[in-house]
Amino acid sequence: MTARATAARPWARFTLGALLVCLPLALALLGPLFAGAAGPRGASFTVGGGALLGTDFAGQDVARQVLLGGRSVVLIALSATVLAYAVALPLAFAAALTHRTWLEELLMRPLDVLLAVPSLLMVLLVATVFEPGAAGLAVLVALVNVPDAARIVRASAAEAAARPAVEALRMQGESWWRIAVGYVARSCLRTLAADAGVRMTGVLYLVATAAFLGVGVDPDAADWAVMVDRNRTGLFVQPWAVVVPALLIVALSMGTNLLGDAGLADRAGTGRTKGRTRKGSVG
Amino acid sequence: MSGLRSFVVRRLVLGAGQTAGVVLLVFALTEALPGDAAVTLAGDRPEPERIAAIRASMRLDLPAYERLAHWAGGLLHGDLGRSLVTGRPVTGYLADGLAPTLLLAALTVALLVPAGVGLGVLAARREGGRADRLISSVTLGIYAVPEFAFGVLLVFVFALRLGWLPPTAVGYGGDLLARPAALVLPVAVLLARPVCSISRLVRAGMLDALASPYVAQARRYGIGAARIRYAHALPNAVAPAAQQLARTVDWLLGGVIVVEALFVIPGLGTVLLTAVSARDIPVVQGLAVVFGVLTVALNLAADLVTHRLAPRTGVAA
Repeated sequence: MTARATAARPWARFTLGALLVCLPLALALLGPLFAGAAGPRGASFTVGGGALLGTDFAGQDVARQVLLGGRSVVLIALSATVLAYAVALPLAFAAALTHRTWLEELLMRPLDVLLAVPSLLMVLLVATVFEPGAAGLAVLVALVNVPDAARIVRASAAEAAARPAVEALRMQGESWWRIAVGYVARSCLRTLAADAGVRMTGVLYLVATAAFLGVGVDPDAADWAVMVDRNRTGLFVQPWAVVVPALLIVALSMGTNLLGDAGLADRAGTGRTKGRTRKGSVG
Repeated sequence: MSGLRSFVVRRLVLGAGQTAGVVLLVFALTEALPGDAAVTLAGDRPEPERIAAIRASMRLDLPAYERLAHWAGGLLHGDLGRSLVTGRPVTGYLADGLAPTLLLAALTVALLVPAGVGLGVLAARREGGRADRLISSVTLGIYAVPEFAFGVLLVFVFALRLGWLPPTAVGYGGDLLARPAALVLPVAVLLARPVCSISRLVRAGMLDALASPYVAQARRYGIGAARIRYAHALPNAVAPAAQQLARTVDWLLGGVIVVEALFVIPGLGTVLLTAVSARDIPVVQGLAVVFGVLTVALNLAADLVTHRLAPRTGVAA
């Protein structure tokens, strides 16, 4: 019975995760197509009166802002994840496959130092000096995630590179490139897939939180996190301008994590590893 | 013993390197300011005398390495510089914001351990049972949710709809203990994510321990289920969670910044956010160094303690 329950759970999680992610993701990607032109601005924080969800702090239609506001969150998070791997993967493979200890130390030790700085603090530090904008926020969040991603991939690649199979390939005279990409990188795919789910959840968290604190977004941007922040003052008059975007962010991040976990349990064939929590999955 | 000693030495060297790295990184900020730093910092008020004052107070006419030496030397003496906006010493800002932040953090950690361990043990009572499925799914979901979204929804339900709790701590100043009701929602929001991570670790550790040969042997001896669970399995399950506890400092720090902004609590997070938006570099640098060094020190302590308790876990250093 125990085995059946555990085996059934990833499916249930996958369905739940997919259901949760569906609505916010569809809104984020397709919403802007249906948003239409901006209507005239009305009074601030009204309920009803022609607008489905009332108006926000600037008198804009909340429903339209909701349709527009998901794109930035999702796109920044996606590009930050891709960018983080674009930096972390070459670093990690170079460190794992080199035979020069000094090179490995040179590549990995600085990352250990960076791991010590809390992610959100790093984002705020940079925001003091620059006004990052959306692209800047993506780069910033990506860089904050590089040390942890590189460390995990390097550990997995170093394990694969030490296998007898690699020794055999080398003795057959296979090229470095074929060994690195054809064998070691392929052996890391499972770890990578597991890490990608966790990483995506962490990146989403950091992007939304930074936007809520006003980093990388215009003060009146159509962004779910910004909407929560700016419309908080009118929570008692017009709660929908806050509650709807907050619920969408909650659904998106919960769903992403459930999906990532279902994928992890499915691939690893055990539910144990998902109990791990990592530093990088945090703000 | 030599293995232990060399581990401790390596870990201490890493900690020292991390501390130096944090200080350098924070200092590099002023160097990264675009254009003439004094003009940039003057921002909306570019009067010549203000620019001159900023240049003098940050010693911008000196070369970078001399400024770094001076600033780092000041740090060693507990001198964090002065605010560009008010001219008050940064240590004064720290002292102002410390009490509410410390209260929030202490309350959270005090509740975190019983809540996290309790939920983990409850879930592990029967793997795949109803309680386990419920707790595992809920913790997995909440774990990922940003504090601000979760917090705003709690405010909506408990302050606005039900009217049980005050929506913010506005008007109580730093004296939060006088109004415990205002603390409930902030602490609940701060607890949410760390409780999830700790309870998941405890659950996994309990399931491992309960499936182990020594528990099977204890069962054969006829020892009661409760005694096996709490006296034999739990201590082994708690070890990995103990290390995670120190790591949650990182989370708490991020959480505190958001929660203080959300509930208008005048703590260190609020001081930091105000300084960030005013580009008050010395205050930001001072707070960042304090936060960064605190994180380094707690992680170092956690690794040393874990290594002492369970040398086999092999903490990376």
